[in-house]
Amino acid sequence: MCDLCMKHGAGGKWYLNAEHYSNQIVEKYNLRDFLMEQYKNFEQISVRKVHGFNAVGMGYKLRIPIIGRIVKHTAEKMLHSTNPPTNPFKAEGHIGQVIPLEDAIAILETCAVEPIIEKNCMCRYMARGEKEACCINFGVMSEIIDKLPRFIPEKDKYFLTRKQAVERFREHNRKGYIGTIWFGPYPYINNLCSCANPECAGLRPRLDYGIKSIYKAEYIVHYHEDECNGCGACVKFCQFGAIELDRVRKKITINLDKCFGCGLCRHACKQNALHMAPRDETPGFEKDY
Amino acid sequence: MANQIKGKTKITIDYTRCGDGVDVDPRECRACLKVCKPAVFLLHETLGAVEENPYDPKKWRITALWLDLCTRCMKCVESCPAGAVAVTWKE
Repeated sequence: MCDLCMKHGAGGKWYLNAEHYSNQIVEKYNLRDFLMEQYKNFEQISVRKVHGFNAVGMGYKLRIPIIGRIVKHTAEKMLHSTNPPTNPFKAEGHIGQVIPLEDAIAILETCAVEPIIEKNCMCRYMARGEKEACCINFGVMSEIIDKLPRFIPEKDKYFLTRKQAVERFREHNRKGYIGTIWFGPYPYINNLCSCANPECAGLRPRLDYGIKSIYKAEYIVHYHEDECNGCGACVKFCQFGAIELDRVRKKITINLDKCFGCGLCRHACKQNALHMAPRDETPGFEKDY
Repeated sequence: MANQIKGKTKITIDYTRCGDGVDVDPRECRACLKVCKPAVFLLHETLGAVEENPYDPKKWRITALWLDLCTRCMKCVESCPAGAVAVTWKE
């Protein structure tokens, strides 16, 4: 169990705790106005200064001795914050976790509050200018996105039934998009994303700068070497660079340190050599979130 | 972790050629966004702009955000039809 599960999981995984999806949270913290303000200005957040800092050239700031550590610490403290959200221009309490297909289906089938919508991904829009409908949102989000035409998909369906949402997510997952679930802001869960590296603004801090903006999944890959025929199809599917192909032995090697447990490699494997196992039962990786 | 290239990269975008400075909508072109492998650029509304008129090109611009991830491949400079991007660095 990751830190979030220990604190907010009610005995299980935090994202399967239905409390975090309820509309009561929205009322309690007045999140309608907060989220409206946040999504209205979403693309600006990285260039807006918070405590005198913005993200422009952040990599260089992080390399400065001592100051770099303060910046990293401040960023993590903000992302992990569990205080009532106050400033919509900060990514306060915006922490997520990678999830495999099975858990995403469980969320969509049991936890997600209707109406369920699919909106254009903000990260792909900010980083590439592409509008691609692949972010599944729940609850109050439909009221907010209704007022922001740039997020409403032109070709794809906007409102989804639970069944359609599962189908869409499955499609994205098989395509090679990483499933992620987010607090946004804590304690409200409203976003089930299908992310891609390097466009994803949530994965970037973790992968490029070592800031814990997202946790590794509750799972880790287990590899049955006898079954592997060395086709190497999984290598391309791993966006974390955890799989390498040994062309001479015709086998893959997996760097478990880099495995985020997204489970995408399984979609590529026709030999059924890759399986997911609980991270906390895997020796050496129990606490590696 | 990011592969570290020696020295500091500086990417400047001339807003008198692209974005809110002239009526060139960066959302239409976005050539630099497409060619950049590490996705260094950010397409965003200018600070303070709100979506009253979401199609107003004067309210959008591109900023080079993740400068340290730039590989100095110069593809953004080559691809920009307005010649607005410049990449410089100090060793």
